[in-house]
Order: sequence, then C-alpha cells, then structure tokens
Amino acid sequence: MILPFLSKLKEKQTFDESLDISPYARMMGFRLMRQDDKLTTVMKFHSDLIGSPFPQALHGGSVASLMEMAALMQLFWDRDLVHIPKAIDITIDYLRSGKPEDTFAKARVFRRGRRFATLHVEAWQSNPDKPIASAMLHFQMVE
Amino acid sequence: MFLIPHARRLGLRLLEKQGDNLMIEMPYNAELEIIPGSGIVANGAITALLDTALGAAVFDQFEEYRRIVTLDLRVDYFEKPEPFSSVVVKTRCLKVTDHMVFVQGDVYSKDSTDPIAHGVAVFSYAEMEKAS
Repeated sequence: MILPFLSKLKEKQTFDESLDISPYARMMGFRLMRQDDKLTTVMKFHSDLIGSPFPQALHGGSVASLMEMAALMQLFWDRDLVHIPKAIDITIDYLRSGKPEDTFAKARVFRRGRRFATLHVEAWQSNPDKPIASAMLHFQMVE
Repeated sequence: MFLIPHARRLGLRLLEKQGDNLMIEMPYNAELEIIPGSGIVANGAITALLDTALGAAVFDQFEEYRRIVTLDLRVDYFEKPEPFSSVVVKTRCLKVTDHMVFVQGDVYSKDSTDPIAHGVAVFSYAEMEKAS
C-alpha cells in the first residue's frame, strides 16, 4: 500500500501529497512534501487538532503523532521496506506551544542497523529555527 | 475534560475514577487505523490518548483550573493493540511538587492485566499555590 504510493513519489523532485492512503493520516491531515531534496511531513491545521481552547494551542498528542509519522516516512523513503517497522519507543520534548497553524516535521536517521533504527525528529511552524517539539524514536526493523 | 477538540475527535471518554487513578478509553474506530482494514489503531493515536489521559490526571490533582504544560512524554510500545478493540489508559500520579507533576499511565487493549504500552510524563503548572 505504502510502497507503490512512495515509489511513484520518488520519481518526482518536488511534491506535496496528502497521505490519504491511511485513514488515521487522513484524519490528522498529514501530507508528505519534498523540496530541495528534503523530505518533510506536514500536519495541515484544522480545528480537530486543538488541545487547548484558551489560548488556542495544538494538542501535544497530535504533534507527537506528526513526529512519529515523519520518522516512519523517512525510514520508508531511505529504503524500499516491505513491512512497516515497529515503533519501540518515543521520547518527546515539548519546547514551545503549538499555534493553530500548519506544522512541519523532519526526521534524521541517527543510526540504522539491520534490526534497529534510531531517529531524531524536529517539529516547527512558521520558523524552522524555533522548533515547537523534538523527539527521539527507536524502531525495530521487520524482515 | 473532553471538551478538548482533539480528545473529542479521538472519541475519548472517562470510564471511571478510583482515587487518583483515571481510566480513560479510546473506543475502536476505523478512522484510527494506519492501515485500512487492519483493525489496529495508530501508535500516534495511542500517544495522543496517553498525552490527554496524563494531562487529565494532572488536572485532577488540583481543585481549581490550572494552566498546565507538558514538558516531556515518553511512550514505550510493548506490543500492538488487539485488532478492532478499544484501548484504555490507567493513570497514576507519581508526585506533585511546587512546580511539577510527575505522572505515568499503563495502556491496555483486550487483556486488562497485560499492558500493551506505557507512558510517563512531566507537566509544569502555573501559579505557586499548593496542590490540593
């Protein structure tokens, strides 16, 4: 499901595609974007992502979820994986309150072994130099 | 508590409260699936459930409304939830200090004795008043 979707995208230098292939990703408003050879996962703002009405702020869980999706997408982007890697753990640091705007996340693979992968993800909004959250994740690769 | 738009979107509801422990459920819903038809809810949804439940456990420590901020959250995923099954978090407040509240939660799927995930979080809260 995800492989044909991504292999079609890998041929394009620039894209901004909705991750409609997954019900949960669709509900969250996740998109996958490639610009200047950088892969970014985007969470389009909509009111269902709000965690605090006054003052309006994104739900921490939705930001965490975006970062996890960004990590998974990066693993799939780098290799033609047959199976979805299993998340082992995620540690999220919340750095700034998430405004009611689009949020972006970029994952960096720290280490990828045959069995495990370690990734770091940053999430930001209008200013990439001011991340709103960062996360460390471990995945178990499934053969 | 579930006036929170994202919590409402996930369908969260408070099952019961035993002393300090809250039991909060996320009923199965096809929209929560990462892979359509798998019956397995996304890890991201479980993380959001934990974030909400642990925040609720923090609110529950105070008599009046406090503005709280999540400093960090760590989630260990032991195993996949049972397909087509709801997911329940049982929270525990570890400690309330002058500025922080330390909380944890066990996540259960079908078997209410064998957790599928575990979360631990630190929240800071506004004002210096003592917790109730």
